[in-house]
Amino acid sequence: MRIYEVFLKADGKEEFRHAGSIEAPTDELALVLARENYTRRAEGTHMWVVDRENICVSEEGFIDANLNKSHRHNDGERVAEWRKSQRNKKSNG
Amino acid sequence: MKRSWASLEEFQKFLDHGGIVEPVDDMPREYRQTVFDFIEMHANSELMGGLTERDWIPKAPGLRHKMSVIAKTQDEIGHAHLLYMVAADLKIKTREEMMQDLFAGKSKFHNVFHYRAKTWGDQVAIAFLVDAAALVSQQAVFKNCSYGPYKRILKRIIAEEGFHLRFGEESVLRIAEGTEVQRNMFQDSINDWWWPALQLFGPDSKPNDLLLRWHIKSERNEILRDRWIQKFVPLLQGYGFTIPDSGLRRNEEKDRWEIGPIDWKPLKQTMIMGGPDSARRISEASDSWEKTGWVREALEKVSA
Repeated sequence: MRIYEVFLKADGKEEFRHAGSIEAPTDELALVLARENYTRRAEGTHMWVVDRENICVSEEGFIDANLNKSHRHNDGERVAEWRKSQRNKKSNG
Repeated sequence: MKRSWASLEEFQKFLDHGGIVEPVDDMPREYRQTVFDFIEMHANSELMGGLTERDWIPKAPGLRHKMSVIAKTQDEIGHAHLLYMVAADLKIKTREEMMQDLFAGKSKFHNVFHYRAKTWGDQVAIAFLVDAAALVSQQAVFKNCSYGPYKRILKRIIAEEGFHLRFGEESVLRIAEGTEVQRNMFQDSINDWWWPALQLFGPDSKPNDLLLRWHIKSERNEILRDRWIQKFVPLLQGYGFTIPDSGLRRNEEKDRWEIGPIDWKPLKQTMIMGGPDSARRISEASDSWEKTGWVREALEKVSA
């Protein structure tokens, strides 16, 4: 038996979401068992099942490196300040 | 991302700030064991509940009820499936080991499944009182649960338990509108199931309750129990039934129902597999596991 992770997509706008896992011997039966266990009340319109062994997981710290790159998040503050000063000039003038 | 904590104090701080633990995390051993025991008991209870539900498929009155009971059975067994998956990922026991421990009477399941449902009235009382009690306690766990996979799977389970509760309410209404014989049958069922259902919440939480400290449960047992009492006393009385508690009083000042003393002996008996129906239930579950062995064998053959 293999362990499969089940992903469901609720409608056109939503992204696929992890729903849980299921034990099954083959891909085909994983789909059947996932349907019986996770979509009894139309919880989705699309389903993926993925053998857990085939999921590549990032090492610890691999994505942490991007936590401190604030230059990637322009907060627009300099431009906002400039606009504000322009407005103040106008109202004072 | 695998996280670890330098000490139990650090871990406690993480939990107190609303931290959510994932299976890959290097969680403290005590936390892993406590979460596992809790989920295993929940899984076992869903399985035992599903099996007793199954017994009523041939006996349910009318097609509408029968179809509802079939759907409920499938839901409960399905919940057990999902919960056993979540429990197995904690790497304390395999699914197979959990099954064997259940059949050997070594692991627990909820007190209410240690009693026998003798009539359709009992089954309705279970669907009404017990399912509601389970829902109240599951909602309180879901609200603030620190173990991620359990919290996420509970969301799914709670949504389905909501359907069960509505089925219970509808069935009570139909019995309440029924004949004198039907009403009497249901009164007997309330008499038998009121106290077990009330005891499902367990005794008052102790000050050092690990489940509370580690944010697995978010509310104390006595608070949950009282919430259920305040809801169900007026509901049952509204349908013209009585509550089997001579100490039950209405405190007008506080605008609350107050119950008489609780005898905890029956609950303690169920904890040691000494409930009125414990032995039969366990052996039924074990039989059912053996009888369906051919399905597992067939699946194993496909995978080979």
